Amino acid sequence: MIIMKRNYFLLAPLAASLMLVSCGGDKTEGSDDVSAIDTTQTEVQTTQVTETFFQVPSPGEMLTFIKMVGGKNNKNVSFLNSPDNQKNYTDNKAKALNFGIYSCDLSYCSIFEIGTEALKYFKVVKQLGDQIGVSAAIKPEVLKRLEGNIGNPDSLSVITDDVYFTSFETLESSKQGPTLSLVVAGGWIESLYIATNLSKYDAKSPVVERLADQKYTLDNLIEFLKKYESDASVASVITQFVELQAEFNKIGEKDAAVVTSTDKTKKILGGGKELSLTAEQYKVIVDKIKEIRNSYTLTK
Amino acid sequence: MTKIFLTLFILSSTILFSQTSVCGQFHRKYCVTETKNGNSNWIYNAQSKSGLFNQGMTSKIRCVIYKGMDYRINVCCETTIGDKVNYKIFDARTSELLFDNAAAQGESLFEFQSTATRQLIIEVTVPKGATEADKHKPMEAACVGLLIEHKVTDRQGFSQY
Repeated sequence: MIIMKRNYFLLAPLAASLMLVSCGGDKTEGSDDVSAIDTTQTEVQTTQVTETFFQVPSPGEMLTFIKMVGGKNNKNVSFLNSPDNQKNYTDNKAKALNFGIYSCDLSYCSIFEIGTEALKYFKVVKQLGDQIGVSAAIKPEVLKRLEGNIGNPDSLSVITDDVYFTSFETLESSKQGPTLSLVVAGGWIESLYIATNLSKYDAKSPVVERLADQKYTLDNLIEFLKKYESDASVASVITQFVELQAEFNKIGEKDAAVVTSTDKTKKILGGGKELSLTAEQYKVIVDKIKEIRNSYTLTK
Repeated sequence: MTKIFLTLFILSSTILFSQTSVCGQFHRKYCVTETKNGNSNWIYNAQSKSGLFNQGMTSKIRCVIYKGMDYRINVCCETTIGDKVNYKIFDARTSELLFDNAAAQGESLFEFQSTATRQLIIEVTVPKGATEADKHKPMEAACVGLLIEHKVTDRQGFSQY
């Protein structure tokens, strides 16, 4: 355990009671009725406050996986969102969505060792980041670190991951929930768009399997977005993602194969379902991903 | 009266904001574990999270884990709220209990892989009266971090990867 002490004595009940209010968009269980809170008895809040947060893997996780399963020599950047489009993004929704998209493109260039392109994408990420309120997260010295690590893909990936995570943290801690949710949505849809541009349908392809598995990530992402659905921009993204979810929900399931391991330090979580994506379903999903992604990048 | 409520609200908001900021990256700073051989290839997973807890409080995250990957979870906290944090892992779909660290001698680190991609619910609880000799106040709050890391599962035998 950490040898560290910080006394929040007496402040905790206030914070706990506010947590209930601030997390109203999350699913709560038990008897946590916000409207029924007796603010004169804040000690009660030290008992049970159960809430669920919906987490979404980063775009870099998908891209790293694609590289690992056979995309090592890929250097194609033709399908990325051109840095020149950045000037077209004038409203807050377009800026936030494309900050997520460009951040994903930056990760892609770093992971696939396309260093010169990474520098271009870093610059647009920096420019849009300044406009959406994460300038503190993307400091000018990061560019120098990037320039100093061209040719070192592992370091580039770490640096660009840090840009994404720090931006996420900045938006979260500054309570810019709607902007954060749009950034996450943009990054996620771009990672799928890239994946579909790098793969062709093969039922046994690991990339196609991973694409089908995005059904679960999309469920989490929609729940995450719903927290901010009172924002019109977020609501419109939810509508698009629910349409995509309907296509993912058509994917068939079968029992997962049994896996054994000789490694006694690692537990195998058995059971579960594997998804089997047909060629027809793949095409419909790919088309829908393209339609949604282009509706964000081709804004004029 | 209105002024008092307004002042309380602003004060409370400031407290919550500052403490959220304090806990934001807690897991990245304090939950990282050394690996015995020093060459682990574990990668930070963006689904990690930190939060402000007080004793008796429970919070959950729903995350996605992929087939073909190894994962490890480490939960840590500031000693202000105790020396142990309990956590359970459930299959989000079936509610099946997959792991309970209380049944594993309170082990904070759990390494696993899954036979299928699935959503997990990770439920973290700071027990009441969990402090050393109960000398701390039950309403003290502190940061709890949930660090998730992943890496590609080592292939056994011939592999298409």
